[in-house]
Amino acid sequence: MSSTFQGFLLRRLAVSIPLVLAVLFVTFMLVRIGGQDPVALLAGPTASAAEHAAIRAELGLDRPLLVQFGIYLGGVIQGDLGTSWLSSGAVLDEIRGRLFITLELLLWGVAIGALVGVPLGLRAAARRGSFFDQAVRAVSLAGFSVPTYWLGLIAILLFFYFLDLAPAPMGRISAMAERPDAITGSYLIDGLLGGQWQSAGSALAHLILPVCTIAVIACAPIMKQARAIGAEVIESEFIRYARASGLGERRIRRMVLRNSMVPVLTFVGTEIIGLLGTSSLIELIFSWGGIGQWGLQSILNGDFAAVQGYVLFAALLSVVVFLIIDLAVWVLEPRGRGAP
Amino acid sequence: MRFQAMMTSRVRQTLIGFACGVATLAVVAPASAATMVIAATRTPGGFDGDALKPNTQNVVVQTYEGLTRYGYKKNPTTGRMEVDPANIQPHLAASWTTSADGKTWTFKLREGVKSPFGNEMTSADVVWGWQKSLAQKRTGAFIARVSSVKAVEPVDRYTVRFELEQPSKIFLSALTLYTPSIYDATEVKKHASAEDPWALKWIDRNTAGFGAYHLQSLKPGEEAIFVANPNYFGGKPHYDRVVYREVPNAGTRFTLLRTGQVQWTEELTLKQIVELKKDKRVKVESDVGTGHASARINPTIKPFDNPKLRQAMALATDYQAINKAVFEGLGTQARSIVPPIIPGADDEAWTFSTDLTKAKAMLAEAGYPNGIDISLEYSGIFWFEEALAIQLKDSMAKANIRVALKKITDADMRSRTAPNRRDLPFFTFMDNPIVLDPVYALFLNAHSQGASNRNNYKNADFDKIVDAARVEQDPVLRERLVRQAQRIHTGDSSWIMTMYPGVHEAMAPCVTGYVWQPDYHERWRELSCKR
Repeated sequence: MSSTFQGFLLRRLAVSIPLVLAVLFVTFMLVRIGGQDPVALLAGPTASAAEHAAIRAELGLDRPLLVQFGIYLGGVIQGDLGTSWLSSGAVLDEIRGRLFITLELLLWGVAIGALVGVPLGLRAAARRGSFFDQAVRAVSLAGFSVPTYWLGLIAILLFFYFLDLAPAPMGRISAMAERPDAITGSYLIDGLLGGQWQSAGSALAHLILPVCTIAVIACAPIMKQARAIGAEVIESEFIRYARASGLGERRIRRMVLRNSMVPVLTFVGTEIIGLLGTSSLIELIFSWGGIGQWGLQSILNGDFAAVQGYVLFAALLSVVVFLIIDLAVWVLEPRGRGAP
Repeated sequence: MRFQAMMTSRVRQTLIGFACGVATLAVVAPASAATMVIAATRTPGGFDGDALKPNTQNVVVQTYEGLTRYGYKKNPTTGRMEVDPANIQPHLAASWTTSADGKTWTFKLREGVKSPFGNEMTSADVVWGWQKSLAQKRTGAFIARVSSVKAVEPVDRYTVRFELEQPSKIFLSALTLYTPSIYDATEVKKHASAEDPWALKWIDRNTAGFGAYHLQSLKPGEEAIFVANPNYFGGKPHYDRVVYREVPNAGTRFTLLRTGQVQWTEELTLKQIVELKKDKRVKVESDVGTGHASARINPTIKPFDNPKLRQAMALATDYQAINKAVFEGLGTQARSIVPPIIPGADDEAWTFSTDLTKAKAMLAEAGYPNGIDISLEYSGIFWFEEALAIQLKDSMAKANIRVALKKITDADMRSRTAPNRRDLPFFTFMDNPIVLDPVYALFLNAHSQGASNRNNYKNADFDKIVDAARVEQDPVLRERLVRQAQRIHTGDSSWIMTMYPGVHEAMAPCVTGYVWQPDYHERWRELSCKR
């Protein structure tokens, strides 16, 4: 069993390597031909032509594109993703420092979205055509139609500005609160681990609104997909057979849940990847300071190394999430273990 | 049993503490009187005034101060204090003398000025900062070049001498700037190495000046915290701690200020400013500033080499409509390349009030009786560009000047208006001269060697007059030259001069002491909160 799984894992990793290389190459070329020029930005409005040329040479941008890519790739292989020209920090350190900040937001949001969306979707599948089903479909459609940015702003307006229930949307912790000692990078977890309850409380209060915004965005497609998957399973021959054989409704529901789990889980995984881009906007309006906000600002400022680092991070996150899903499916679905 | 009781009590305490944390911080208490929270557009990219990155300038002006500073005067109309460009006062320098030929300046430094590290400022610190800037060949080197500084040398512990290539009237103004910075060289040198002799890496992530504040901590993407320099020569500022919090969204910054969560906010839109002016929970202070929203015409490119066409374009521009539609009525009409706040600004040569009949007649004289098709490039560097371009298209169409609008990338705009290209025929842009001197503004924006002469304006007579003004020591003759130069430039009509959108700073109503600065950044040391 173990060797089969190892082989499966190795095959998955082997497929991932060319994928990551292609992402690296395409991103590298796109940021350079995309019309952004960090030289003009760094040189400032008063620089002479000679100063422009000196900065271009200093950044290595005067070399042929393929040579630049070769140097970059060599660095990536050695764990050096380059230096952000705007912050002067190593890109790897920038990503490391923001990794948990974004993952905390994203994973809580998707988890809550899934915890709400999956049961509602499956229940709607079981009661197709009912009022409950219609309501789930309507809510799901509304969730799809609402722009993320707008939803975040409305949430701030309602819960912070009018109702005064949420803290100010200016980051992960109050400006007045003590920062917990850094362990994981999550103020909530670090505050809890270090016994700094006030800090953890502030972090939790700041998490609620952006997490709920992500959860609403994540919930709609999860609910819709869970309903469709559930309906398909309910219509399947083995469920009809089970029902004809007189199996109890409770037992049938458990069978439906078990057989829906694999495709639903796969879909939830894809949602995590899909919401990485969406979370950039959420981070921006809540001043969250994670990888999404950093990536967006890097794109706007033509910070080539940072943009490449951001896209590489997104690609690697996809690889890791799909590997975890594959692992979960492998555990949950014995029938597929022999498959390539 | 005892263990169980202890654990129960501990768990209870934990839960109570945590719940209290959530409850008290769900509604964040406003900042204490000694802490100012600023909603900033982003955390500073670095702290080296010679290598400007986003938001670097906003904070280095708080940590590095100049040998001189502008004096203030009361504006008789508004009753507010404003910068007086004609009154330059000692700051980190106690006094100065100049040689008869105006080429040698000797500064006596203020004694007892200390950095947060406890080191006293000496002539060696001033010299080190200038040498660093000259070696880096960036912003500070540009300032040295335009103010004609040839050499800086120590005379004794508290005396420093500047040698100029030629007499310069802008030299004292240039010394008000944050760069070339005066570093605590004793501290900075501890972080230098053979590969990095100027400790640039350390300077980029830390501060070591003699200014009122210094950097305590930086969390990129989240906040930078500054604390007052305990040894500051000017005494303790009101705010002993400044939290420079990154809030990238303008809507969020707007809301935070209105709800009293921050005391100061950066970069709001003019629409938001108009809203805030009506809101009693917020105070807005407005100044004309030096930023001039203009559309520039490259007179070296056909058909714009025809001066009559350029004049027809200026006559066809509806300035009032632009002010109303683009600048919410808050703009000030621009009539010279020299901003009105600078002494010597002369708007008498501007004779381009909107007149469609005259515009059509001028266009016919230019050889285009049936009108002309031209294109206008704009980018997203400045928030107003697209709206201004649309207004220009609309108003010029009424005089048969058919303008096709073309949006280009910010990078394209920057590179095509840089000194080595300057190949855009007609485009929108804004420059704001940081030194409040008319010759500096004229040289920077319109001299053939000027770094911001983006439309490649070339007029030998203009260059000759500006060159003469650069070395002229007699203030009356200098002012005469400045006026002559403006008349030539305005008459040539290579800029469609539209509006000074103004500087509109929004703050908590209790904040007092704000005075607009030529670098557009408030000085935290001058602010206080009087409830």
